[in-house]
Amino acid sequence: MRELEKSALKVFEKAGVDFGDIRTEERKSTTIRIANEQLQALSSVVRKGFSVRAFHRGAWGYGSGTSFTLDSVRHAAEAAAEIAHTNSARGLKRSFLKDIKPTRRRLKLALKIDPSNIDLDEKTELAMTVSRAQRIGPNVVSTFAIYGEWDYEFGVTNTAGTDVSWREVRTRIGGQAVAAEGEKRDSAYDFADGTGGYEIVKAVDPNEMGKTIGTEAVELLTAKKPPSGLMTVITDPDISGLLAHEVMGHASEGDEITKRRSFLTGIVGKKVGSPLVTMYDDGTYHGAHGTIQFDCEGTPGHKTKIIDRGVYAGYMHSLETSGTLKMPLTGNGRAENYSRRVWVRMTNTYFAPGGDKFDEIVEETKSGLLTHKSISGMEDPVGGGFQAVALMGHLVKNGEIGPAVRGMTLTGKALEILKSVDMTSKEFKLSGGFCGKGEEDYVPVSSGGPYMRSKIIVGGG
Amino acid sequence: MALLALADDAVKKALVSGAQAAEAFAMTYRTKSVYIEQDVPKVAEDRSEAGIGLKVAVGKRVAFTSASLEGQKDVRTATSFAMKTVKMVPEDPDFPGFTSYKVMGKVEKTHDAKTADASVEELVEMALGMTAAAKVRKDVTVPKGIFRVQDYELRVVNSEGAEGSHRGTLVFIYFTAKSGTKTKAGEGIIKSLGVSLSQQDFQAIGERLGARSVENLEASALRERIAGTVVMDPLDLGEMMIQTVGAAVNAEDVRRKRSPWQDKKGQSVASETVNIADMPRLPAGLSSCAVDDEGNPTADRPLVVNGILRDLVHDHYNAALLGGKGGNAFRRAVATIEGAYARPAQCSISNLVVEPGTQSLDEIVESVQNGVYVEKLAAPEVNQFSGAFALEVRNAAIINRGELRNHVKFALLVGNMFEGLKNVAATGRELRPSHGFLTATGCCYLPPMAFNGFELVGQK
Repeated sequence: MRELEKSALKVFEKAGVDFGDIRTEERKSTTIRIANEQLQALSSVVRKGFSVRAFHRGAWGYGSGTSFTLDSVRHAAEAAAEIAHTNSARGLKRSFLKDIKPTRRRLKLALKIDPSNIDLDEKTELAMTVSRAQRIGPNVVSTFAIYGEWDYEFGVTNTAGTDVSWREVRTRIGGQAVAAEGEKRDSAYDFADGTGGYEIVKAVDPNEMGKTIGTEAVELLTAKKPPSGLMTVITDPDISGLLAHEVMGHASEGDEITKRRSFLTGIVGKKVGSPLVTMYDDGTYHGAHGTIQFDCEGTPGHKTKIIDRGVYAGYMHSLETSGTLKMPLTGNGRAENYSRRVWVRMTNTYFAPGGDKFDEIVEETKSGLLTHKSISGMEDPVGGGFQAVALMGHLVKNGEIGPAVRGMTLTGKALEILKSVDMTSKEFKLSGGFCGKGEEDYVPVSSGGPYMRSKIIVGGG
Repeated sequence: MALLALADDAVKKALVSGAQAAEAFAMTYRTKSVYIEQDVPKVAEDRSEAGIGLKVAVGKRVAFTSASLEGQKDVRTATSFAMKTVKMVPEDPDFPGFTSYKVMGKVEKTHDAKTADASVEELVEMALGMTAAAKVRKDVTVPKGIFRVQDYELRVVNSEGAEGSHRGTLVFIYFTAKSGTKTKAGEGIIKSLGVSLSQQDFQAIGERLGARSVENLEASALRERIAGTVVMDPLDLGEMMIQTVGAAVNAEDVRRKRSPWQDKKGQSVASETVNIADMPRLPAGLSSCAVDDEGNPTADRPLVVNGILRDLVHDHYNAALLGGKGGNAFRRAVATIEGAYARPAQCSISNLVVEPGTQSLDEIVESVQNGVYVEKLAAPEVNQFSGAFALEVRNAAIINRGELRNHVKFALLVGNMFEGLKNVAATGRELRPSHGFLTATGCCYLPPMAFNGFELVGQK
């Protein structure tokens, strides 16, 4: 343990708080943006900081800084302890930290290809190729591509004896094209990302990715308006993932249960979906964008079953919600960075694959809609409502995939949708991204699942 | 101030290290936050941070790097990283060099000393005041609330002699309330932004929050389709306006042919009654400043005049290429200043202001025969290229013969924002600020507005 960590813990002990920890971070990242086949920006970030927090009788005090001196750490820890003490006297309902089993580990990360060993030229050319390949015809009026790498080092030390450090590396390649014809204008995208080294983006065929983006953007110009109303929908892995993440996932975060804000409060053991529905949050999923070695409280990443064949199985937890609800720790205490608080957050959240082939699902659908890629989704832990926007879709008629339709909004009550699931595919995919809680605190996650057939309300277009 | 002066050192250091031009942006900020959970102050924070963003140029090669800032060693880190990088990047043949203005003066009321000096303890009291006010009924609780105050200062300098500084405060409130029972619950969400605590009416915010949760609880599921006039509250409408108008008037988007208003200068893009300006000199504006984040002086700029598109917003780069005036390069967001130094400045609106009309919200509602008042959406996301949207409503009420009737839910507001601007039925008189996603630059000040052509679609 370094002197900085020791000084923070000493402050917490002296202040007599129930618990305290210090988290240190060094974040390095490089982003290359290519716009219309020209370098738009190359930016590198080196961001270092620490976060201290004290917990006392149900209240948390936080402090943070970027100055790694004993004085500034001590000062921040004293302020955090004082805040915790002051607010604990306000008659808070007691909450309990899980009896922490101290962990002491210094984890090394074995990368296949460390991005820092790859020339900037190669990374720039990769993004440039994705941008260039989008030009499939005159209707593609604007192209964009991005390469990103994030190399983070973390340390967590707490008064219970935990002292861990680890490294997380993520890489990403993606692009977006705008197509136009007359007054019509629309856009399509694609990307690939994950936890790991340069091998993740190297596995992508940049020409193929660019061509797909350009083709889909042009296809959207002539796509028809989608039908509306309650109908049979085959959600693709992206939209299936949004249903898992936005509604069932956010409402399964332990703090939403302790706050009684979730429609899933008290639902463990009850039927919430068809027997075809099994759902996990899995921080250990190899290579996925939300994979973590430890969470921001020093708890190892964990695979948590949330729905087991249609029956609700359990929530995700931080140290505090696990202790308060007397449920097992799941390694979901995460923060965006050292200057943000720790909440219960997801990692890789998905519905498990099923036994049907995608082609069979289509063949057995008389009339419906097949979604393709997501634009956005919104959480609704209180009401359990689902809102997701798909990039585009295709009509399905008499077992065949028909013409493309424009982006549409999918909505409805999540539990009604899950209970109507009658087919799930063997094909399965996770897509990475960043998830906010409310409007802030973005952490790397992924979500996904199989193709799922259910009844959903469709609107817009 | 000592840390901000490191911006000057970074420029000097870059030039000594071989850069032909350099631009540095340094900032310091302090954040105090309170998080309410289940009616009590669960988490409180007091945080400080400083950082620097450095852009260097060698010929037509340009690179940007940033670092958290503690002292000279971080300046050395940022400079050496930038110099190493700049040698490897491709040339940008269009790079026009850096600006050379020395910007003096400031915009009124962007920094409020009382807000900056408020203690965490005082903020806790204010947050508890809002929480208490939300309890309009026994069954209302506040499961979650975020109340944040930030005090920040920045300095931008470059090797061409440009120099400017700015100081500001920001207040951000995001609270949720819940009413009802275990089996049937309603949620209200409220958000409020400003540059000073004195702009916030905590009692009114709390009361409206609680009322929204009750209205959501008691709302009935909409079955039919309503195609009358849609009156919209400014907060979510502003976000929709930023995504569409904010992007359409952005010179970078126009130059890259991403903007649907690409060739529309001089043409009608909105109803004749619509006037929209970018106003970085707006007193007490969230994005107000005398200098933008690359050292250009800012200026108020009419964009849409009587429905005709007249101008765009330009950063230095796009102004040089398209022949406009710079002053719209930003990296700071309005919901939080955090991490702004780590982003290169980008072409962006500052305060996008929709000129207010003369009617109050009540008067607008009274003028509507058949329609809907939409106060809160689940997520106000619009396709910035086509303008299309289909958004779930959280708080909405039917308007019949000039009166607000029953509240409805489980319905989608469907329409096209660009078409909506051409069908504005009424513009209210009270401006309120709205913003995009958390780290989005710029904001929008607008009144409540009424549109024809949108529909509220129920479940059948």
